Amino acid sequence: MMLIRTLPALLLVLAMAARPANGSAQTPGPAADSALEAATRELASQIRCVQCQGLSIQDSPSELSKEMKQIIREQLAAGRTPEEVKAYFVARYGEWILLDPPARGLNLAVYILPILSLLGGAVVVVVLVRRWTRPLGDAGAPDAGAGP
Amino acid sequence: MTGAVGHTAVALALALSCYGVIAAAVAGRKGSAGRAWHASARGAAYAVFLMYAVATFTMVYALVAHDFSVKYVAQVGSRSTPLFFTVISLWGALEGSILFWGFVLALYTALVAYGGRRSKQADSQRTYATATLLAVNAFFSLLLVKPANPFAPEFPVPLDGPGPNPLLQNHPLMAVHPPLLYLGYVGLSVPFAFAVGALLAGREDEGWIRETRRWTLVAWGFLTLAIVAGMWWSYEVLGWGGYWAWDPVENASFMPWLTATAFLHSSMVEERRPGMLRLWNLCLVVATFLLTILGTFLTRSGVLLSVHAFTRGPIGYYFLGFIALALIFSLTLLAARADRLGRGQGRLDSAVSREAVFLVNNLILTAFTFTVLLGTLFPLVAEAVRGVKVSVGAPFFNRMTVPLCVALLFLVGVGPVLPWRGIQPGVAARSLLVPSVGGLAVALGSVLLLGVRDVYAVLAFGFAAFALLSNAREFVEGTRARRRATGESWSLALARLVRANRHRYGGYIAHVGVISIAIGISASSTFRQEREATVRPGEAVEIGPFAVRFERLWAREEPHRFVVGADLAVLADGEPAGRLDPRLNFYNTSDQAITTPAVRSRAGGDLYVNLLAFERDGSSATLHVIIEPLVPWIWIGGGIIGLGALIAAWPEGRRRRLIRAARRPGADEEGGDRPPAHEVASAVAHGAVS
Repeated sequence: MMLIRTLPALLLVLAMAARPANGSAQTPGPAADSALEAATRELASQIRCVQCQGLSIQDSPSELSKEMKQIIREQLAAGRTPEEVKAYFVARYGEWILLDPPARGLNLAVYILPILSLLGGAVVVVVLVRRWTRPLGDAGAPDAGAGP
Repeated sequence: MTGAVGHTAVALALALSCYGVIAAAVAGRKGSAGRAWHASARGAAYAVFLMYAVATFTMVYALVAHDFSVKYVAQVGSRSTPLFFTVISLWGALEGSILFWGFVLALYTALVAYGGRRSKQADSQRTYATATLLAVNAFFSLLLVKPANPFAPEFPVPLDGPGPNPLLQNHPLMAVHPPLLYLGYVGLSVPFAFAVGALLAGREDEGWIRETRRWTLVAWGFLTLAIVAGMWWSYEVLGWGGYWAWDPVENASFMPWLTATAFLHSSMVEERRPGMLRLWNLCLVVATFLLTILGTFLTRSGVLLSVHAFTRGPIGYYFLGFIALALIFSLTLLAARADRLGRGQGRLDSAVSREAVFLVNNLILTAFTFTVLLGTLFPLVAEAVRGVKVSVGAPFFNRMTVPLCVALLFLVGVGPVLPWRGIQPGVAARSLLVPSVGGLAVALGSVLLLGVRDVYAVLAFGFAAFALLSNAREFVEGTRARRRATGESWSLALARLVRANRHRYGGYIAHVGVISIAIGISASSTFRQEREATVRPGEAVEIGPFAVRFERLWAREEPHRFVVGADLAVLADGEPAGRLDPRLNFYNTSDQAITTPAVRSRAGGDLYVNLLAFERDGSSATLHVIIEPLVPWIWIGGGIIGLGALIAAWPEGRRRRLIRAARRPGADEEGGDRPPAHEVASAVAHGAVS
């Protein structure tokens, strides 16, 4: 009984582990950490993991993410710019693959509206503070500003 | 049998809450003439709670007894799941979580009703508040009766179930995070109810703020603890070494927290300056409540994919309908009562004042909320308008909100020092001298000594030091002044000072908690180091001062899962420094392995190791090793905020209330216009300190 229940799990474990542990030829050895790695990490944190809920491929532990990260590494090593690598992924997966919506067209709204709201609110705050510091019964006089 | 009991209880709750709304509304209209109606409405509130208690207990019983004839148990129950996780699977999936929500809401409603039992003159505001809460109760009961019925019969009855989502079985924090979240989230309905109550009762004074504030503090405190607990769970379970991903559900819990924080501050302005900001405060409270319902809608309807999203179905439409109804109702009420809201009569001596700081605080928090809301909903909007899927992820949110957080950190330091009504800039500068010097020193130190290059990180460290010093200064000056008057020892003076001004010093303690979290987040992102490597037994991954040596692989079978772990030895600067065992868990019912990272926590930071993959014969393992400096200060900070909220919300003893009332009629527990620390000495000389 126990064996029957264990069997699927065991098979699963074996199937998962049968792949060479994360491509021994691909992962840098224990001590490597170069500018290429840093650039890869930077770019990988802007690309979305396809299977996960909103994580970047840098943060995702899934196999597919590891493979995508390897593609980034190879392309960067071959001399492509980050923009070109991003365009490569967008061509295959769509705009959705970028965690930062490209600042074009409708997407501009999500960048500009917050800033506008902050500025608009700042105006309101300034107006309110000036109104509150104006001396009583002295609507026309210059406001007291920062005090006597 | 159990299903029928539970379902009947919920149906009765629905009927009773509908009745309660009517009874309370009538009672509110009749005022003192409707004593019987008041009692009846209270009774309805108690009865609703009783029904929910029965329903919840019934569900827990069904879960533990593995009664698979009940639909929810068939969904999340399993004979092989440990008892602990079986019990907490009550809130593990959609219907159960709605039941739990209803239970917490019914509890709050009963407490609110209970609080009005002794009023000599029937308190209309509280009665209308009870009516509002019962109306919300009715909505959730309706959900439980129709679209999200956990007690529906399951036929044919299965022999076993799939068990809860493996992600939810992996860590005891799953017992803590949801209840705290519900106590906070649902608790924010209470301030809303009081606001509605005040508007319906035609109340023109600031009394509604006093009633509302303690409830808001309690709910806010729980919500803070819940969010931090959620971050901690994410860190300890998900394996990527992070604690916040701007996931839609994280955002859903964060947005009402932001508006509630804004309210906690701006309500203080209204209390001291009658009429100032009253409309704004009412809007904040309404917005907070609507955000909680919106948040529930986002997570429960599955409209935005997320780790938490439970299911799709008609339930989304129910929520949308309720949000629309609540929004229209609130706006209509505000418009109808607009004439009674009065104009602010307050005046400031100077713009350099606490009122101005709180206004800026509200501005930033509101802009923050708007940004998060926009970013969270934008993918939906974009897909509807352009038909193209777009992602708005962590890089966007971080870029837009980090400057706001840094600005808030600055305000945390400035606010406590500026008094109400204003102060001459020169005097303010003198009080801020030491904190400013300290902040500048830390900022320079971080650039010159630690090599920090990111502008916002430098500002964050500098402002954190600044804010810490200025808040600490308030404690020091206050205690010093008190000692001069009473001659008490330092510790006694401090304790008595805090006890006499719970709200103020509880708030400063909460500030310290916020600063702690800010430091933890800044340090762990700025100074983070990570390395990923495949190692054979005996080999080590070197990172910073550590070497993590892989010794061997092991495996273990448990009733509900199969666990593979790596035995690791940690060396710090060559010396043995403990062991770690990160694991991969394979659950019978899921094809995705769940990681259990191993974390070595010290005050200075964490060494975080995740097992990514392994060879079946144990010949190698792939490890992801991260150094995360000062991360524990995030969890500690959360606890400190909770402590601050507790102290601030703690009711005064009767004796103190009477003393205060006698000395200054109508004074509230915060002492009204209490001047800041540097003026306390003269006040003390006049015996104002008790």
